[in-house]
Amino acid sequence: MSGRGNSAAATIALVARREITTQVRSRTFLIGLLLMVAIFAGYAAVIAFVGAQSSSSSLVLDGAARDLRPALQATADRQGSTLRLTEAGSRATAESMVRTGEADALLAGGPGSYQLVGLEDVNPALGALVRDVVEQQAVDDALTAAGADPEQVSTLAGVGITTLEPADPERGQRIAVAFAVTFLLFFSVTTYGSAVAQGVVEEKSSRVVELLLSTIRPLHLLAGKVVGLGLVGLLQLVILGGLGMLVALATGMLAVPTAVVAGTLASGIVWYLVGFFLYATLYASAGALVSRQEELQSVIGPIAIPLLLPFLVAVTILPTDPRNGFATVLSFVPFFSQTVMPARMALGVAPWWQALVALLIALVTLAGMVLLAARVYRNSILRTGSRVPWREALRPTRT
Amino acid sequence: MLAIDGLAKRFGTATALDGVTFDVRPGELFGFVGGNGAGKTTTMRIVLGVLETDAGTVSWRGSPVDAAIRRRIGYMPEERGLYPKMRVAEQLTYLARLHGMSRPDAVDAALRWTDRVGIADRRGDEVQKLSLGNQQRVQLCAALVHDPDVLVLDEPFSGLDPAAVDTMSEVLRERAAAGTPVIFSSHQLELVERLCDRVGIISAGRMVAVGSVEELRAGAAPRYDVTGPPAGWADVVPGVTVLEADGDRTRVELEPGTDDQKLLAAALAAGPVRAFGPHRPPLTELYRDAVADRPAGAQEIR
Repeated sequence: MSGRGNSAAATIALVARREITTQVRSRTFLIGLLLMVAIFAGYAAVIAFVGAQSSSSSLVLDGAARDLRPALQATADRQGSTLRLTEAGSRATAESMVRTGEADALLAGGPGSYQLVGLEDVNPALGALVRDVVEQQAVDDALTAAGADPEQVSTLAGVGITTLEPADPERGQRIAVAFAVTFLLFFSVTTYGSAVAQGVVEEKSSRVVELLLSTIRPLHLLAGKVVGLGLVGLLQLVILGGLGMLVALATGMLAVPTAVVAGTLASGIVWYLVGFFLYATLYASAGALVSRQEELQSVIGPIAIPLLLPFLVAVTILPTDPRNGFATVLSFVPFFSQTVMPARMALGVAPWWQALVALLIALVTLAGMVLLAARVYRNSILRTGSRVPWREALRPTRT
Repeated sequence: MLAIDGLAKRFGTATALDGVTFDVRPGELFGFVGGNGAGKTTTMRIVLGVLETDAGTVSWRGSPVDAAIRRRIGYMPEERGLYPKMRVAEQLTYLARLHGMSRPDAVDAALRWTDRVGIADRRGDEVQKLSLGNQQRVQLCAALVHDPDVLVLDEPFSGLDPAAVDTMSEVLRERAAAGTPVIFSSHQLELVERLCDRVGIISAGRMVAVGSVEELRAGAAPRYDVTGPPAGWADVVPGVTVLEADGDRTRVELEPGTDDQKLLAAALAAGPVRAFGPHRPPLTELYRDAVADRPAGAQEIR
């Protein structure tokens, strides 16, 4: 009879195709895409808003403080911030301007009695600027009174500031790209990693797994599921990454050379695959332990911690301190490297050989994890009822 | 021929199977009966390879059942299971392909079988939207869709409405007639007796009887129904045990070597006899006796 069966690869491909069709057709896929687009749009809007906020402020001057106007304007110009200066006829007028929001703060009084008054608080940048100007004014006055030339003193007191590494004029953009890459990787691995766990439990809770395993091997079923979901995650990553790149380049938001962005996206894909498969082994094992969706959260919850840690490091420490030692170490540790290393690469602080070393470490770990996950899956997948203890799930099997 | 030989399985300290041995021949409907926990499901799961046996072998046409042969078995697990959110035809096509069918053949088979069990109009629906009875029909299709060489069905009749029972019976008969050995378990003994060529009775992990119902009957002590004489007449007849007395009808069992004519004479002496004849015990009765012969201590094992 027609007893010709499938090869292992054909079976895995069949299972993977089912996963892809089911996922892409599901509402979750589309909603996930839209959600990510919304998050990125929101992020861009916040950056734009914050940028607009910090670069300009307005100050109303009252009384003798008006004499500081040229010095204030000159300092602000030198620092590259926009300062709008107005003069009020009386203290009452100046106060009402602050109250109505026409001005951020008022400066009143004269030497020795200057007062900077805000509504509820004073913008620290504005405070620092005013303090600098007042201080300089006092020093200049004292020097002149003592018979010294303030300008000569200023020249002598000057410190030239330069860097050994050339300053990166695109640093802000690099941070933005690093953040986007980190976020995309985190989101994709989390979403499709937990989809693996859910898929495993779905087959257990619906009992279809016994029917499947009477035909195909547990390993083939697991491999097909992981490959299928990994590809769907990759599809989403490429769509979002490509979309983001196109929009950024088209609107001129991103002036980094296209090759750099494309390189970042390409290495992002490699890191996504490594990270996804690493975490998929954890998610699949966790899913195989329980029999109902309700129990799933308690076993996959802990997996979110190692996922979240490098993400937090990448978005909080790296932008201000790209050469942070802790982050550098993390970028080599498997389970963390897939998030931190691409971020460091996007920031331009990781040479290519470091990325390669981190990738090799991650791949070796992956090979070991696949063996462990396969064992846990085989031991647990047909055990329904109460949760399978890790100790029993990890026991070596005969087959 | 599917040969099951000396299967043994322990779960911890509990013995689930203890030397289970029987054959299912080509074209034969084999009924597998036994109480809950007797070992039916465990046996079937071992045949399908979803459970490992501690000892013994399962072979098909003389060679041990391996992954390639298992792909040619149609299986209905006791715990029904399908992807709830997958559409009926897609699901069956997918399962057929997992069994090694080409895509066109698989699509074809899914259409044919949904048609055969009367759910052609539900092909495009998700399985979870079907009634329980129709889900069972899909489950039967899932066992048959790849045109299997052997059918192993665990409780295929449980939860079916009378119409579905008829469909299921017809399909199983058809498959057997086409030369496929069919083994199924059931608690509905009347159905098994009506449908099956041979029966295997399992109790506490051991086969206590295997054969056609007629063969099982031949092995049992002869029984007679006597109608007429008032109750109690047979209590004193030597070599005779009264099984039940219902009004003026008395059912007795004869010890080996007891002459039925002596029984008749004793009955006539007690009163007028209106009916006298051998009792053909139904499977229900044969089953009860076979299981009762076993010493107590049968453990509840799943």
